[in-house]
Amino acid sequence: MDMYHNIPILLVAVPIFFAAITVFLRSRFKLQKALNTTVFAGLFIMSLALLLHVWENGIVVYEVGEWGKYGIILVADLLGSGMVVLSSFISMMAMIYGQDYMDKETALDTTFFPLFNIMVAGLNGIFLTGDLFNLFVFFEVLVMASCGLIVLTGRGDHTPMLYKIEAIFKYLVLNMFSIIVMLTAIASLYATVGTLNMADISVKLAQLSAAGTMPWHVYMIALMFIVVFGYKAAMFPLHFWLADVHPSAPAPIHAMLSGMVIKVGIYGILRIHYLIFPDVLFLTRPIILILSLVTIGVGAASAIGQYDLKRMLAYSSVSQIGYVLLGVGMGSVYTTTAALMYLVNHAMAKSMLFLATGETLYHAGTKDIRKMGGFIRTSPFLATIFLMGSMSIAGLPPMGGFIAKFVVFDSGLEAGFYAPVAIALLFAIFTLFYLFRTWMTIFWGELKEPENESDFIARSPTPQIKVALALLAVAVIFFGVYPEPLFALASEITAQLFDPQPYIDAVLGGQVR
Amino acid sequence: MNNTLLSITIALLFGIGTFMILRKDIIKIVLGMTILSHSANLLIFSSGITGGKTVPIITEEIAQHTTGIIFTDDLVNGILAPIVPEGTEMLFVDPMVQALTLTAIVISLATTSFLLILSYRVYKEHNTTDVSKVRRLRG
Repeated sequence: MDMYHNIPILLVAVPIFFAAITVFLRSRFKLQKALNTTVFAGLFIMSLALLLHVWENGIVVYEVGEWGKYGIILVADLLGSGMVVLSSFISMMAMIYGQDYMDKETALDTTFFPLFNIMVAGLNGIFLTGDLFNLFVFFEVLVMASCGLIVLTGRGDHTPMLYKIEAIFKYLVLNMFSIIVMLTAIASLYATVGTLNMADISVKLAQLSAAGTMPWHVYMIALMFIVVFGYKAAMFPLHFWLADVHPSAPAPIHAMLSGMVIKVGIYGILRIHYLIFPDVLFLTRPIILILSLVTIGVGAASAIGQYDLKRMLAYSSVSQIGYVLLGVGMGSVYTTTAALMYLVNHAMAKSMLFLATGETLYHAGTKDIRKMGGFIRTSPFLATIFLMGSMSIAGLPPMGGFIAKFVVFDSGLEAGFYAPVAIALLFAIFTLFYLFRTWMTIFWGELKEPENESDFIARSPTPQIKVALALLAVAVIFFGVYPEPLFALASEITAQLFDPQPYIDAVLGGQVR
Repeated sequence: MNNTLLSITIALLFGIGTFMILRKDIIKIVLGMTILSHSANLLIFSSGITGGKTVPIITEEIAQHTTGIIFTDDLVNGILAPIVPEGTEMLFVDPMVQALTLTAIVISLATTSFLLILSYRVYKEHNTTDVSKVRRLRG
């Protein structure tokens, strides 16, 4: 057993362990800061090592308790470990940023560090688990931790507690409902095939399908999973909660929620529907395609009318997740590759934009766009970062978002989806419009209150916050000017998705002891 | 007969839960969520009631009588463990289902208690339990 074999379990266990440790250390702020930065950097390095190892040597399987396929297994294939690298990177940046951003008495000294650790453990668990019921458990872990994080306060967070309580009430009730749908689907699937291991379910359903005895309710189960993951990803009829919940969160949590947590839905669709229900794809692909177009339109149209900066960007997230779903829904190998590239670039750019937004709101002292103006004088750094984020989301070169949008449209045209690509292009112009209008209003022009200029300058970003933002900006530009490694990785992931045999062999190859 | 009754019970519980979460009162929503999650738990549980007779602990005495049918898939004949084909005597109750139900119950306990505390906070902050009046977040 080499050391890479143990990394999947470490990626889940280490954050949970340190969540317990940080509860005890909560009065020792300096130590907390150093410890958490080290832990998150360590997690990022571990996940990167895992991804490189998986890319070179194939899928890593860790059997918890050595029960073989009957127990819980953690599987690090390219999709899972790639998502873990992305989430570790963004959570490291959010953690570095959050240490200066969050209020000391009400957040940093109480629940911020433990809950953040648990949230990361939940994310890593979702991406690595190979067991359907375990996926449900990690969903709950993630939801409960993010509920606790949303109510914390930060310095640029002008949301009263009244609103936050209402937001997490909505979030929790709707999440519980989607989780119950998921549990019902899992129970039906277990009653059908008698196993919870995803690879095992895949083999058995393929056998039933080959024998022509596929029960009709398997189609229903696949559609129920679309509801669950569509809810997580804020797909059109289920997108309404996002604009209430995400803007209520403080900036680092907002970046995690909009950057990573809604990508969990995309991951679920890719994992469950490509591995377990490849026979139902003929039914689910058109549904995802049509709903993704509506999502793009509704998100972009709603974002234009907003004056609350965070709310506008939240609707922008809805619109952007539509582009990822568009790539998934078009369903050829190239479009799925494009969807994965879009996912990565959007996660980076959006989390950078949200972190910059938190600082901008603190800088301005309000969250109404109409009351801001001319901040390029008082904070050129924030203006640059915000501009880079907007350029990447809107899809202008040389940012990563340009490459992502380009491959989505190119692959769509190649696969012959002319009308969907035309609709998506139209709303890409909307995106350009509302992001640059916002940037011009906030940063361009004259200062709205010149007498308060020294106040604005006093509320500038601290060096630590600048480091986090700058690192994210470097990543965004890097994937814009040199996207080849990302493209190669995305193609390899797509190849694994369309041919899950290596995954199944890796999981079921081991003997039951 | 028993299975039919159980199915009807689960269906009724799902119906009651769905009805409750569509009410306007916060407490009714929380209770509806509880009923819904318990009906989901019952659904998991019902998939394991297949007429097994013994507890799933394999002692030496029982091991001599088992044919190994529970833990092996006979894919050629379309037998998928632990689902046993008709006509074969099933020795054990499926232990997995009980573990799953227990986990789900514990999770629903935690979320329900969190939801109850949250609804208390909503009541304290808004001075009402009517959800149609709890709507400050409008863009």
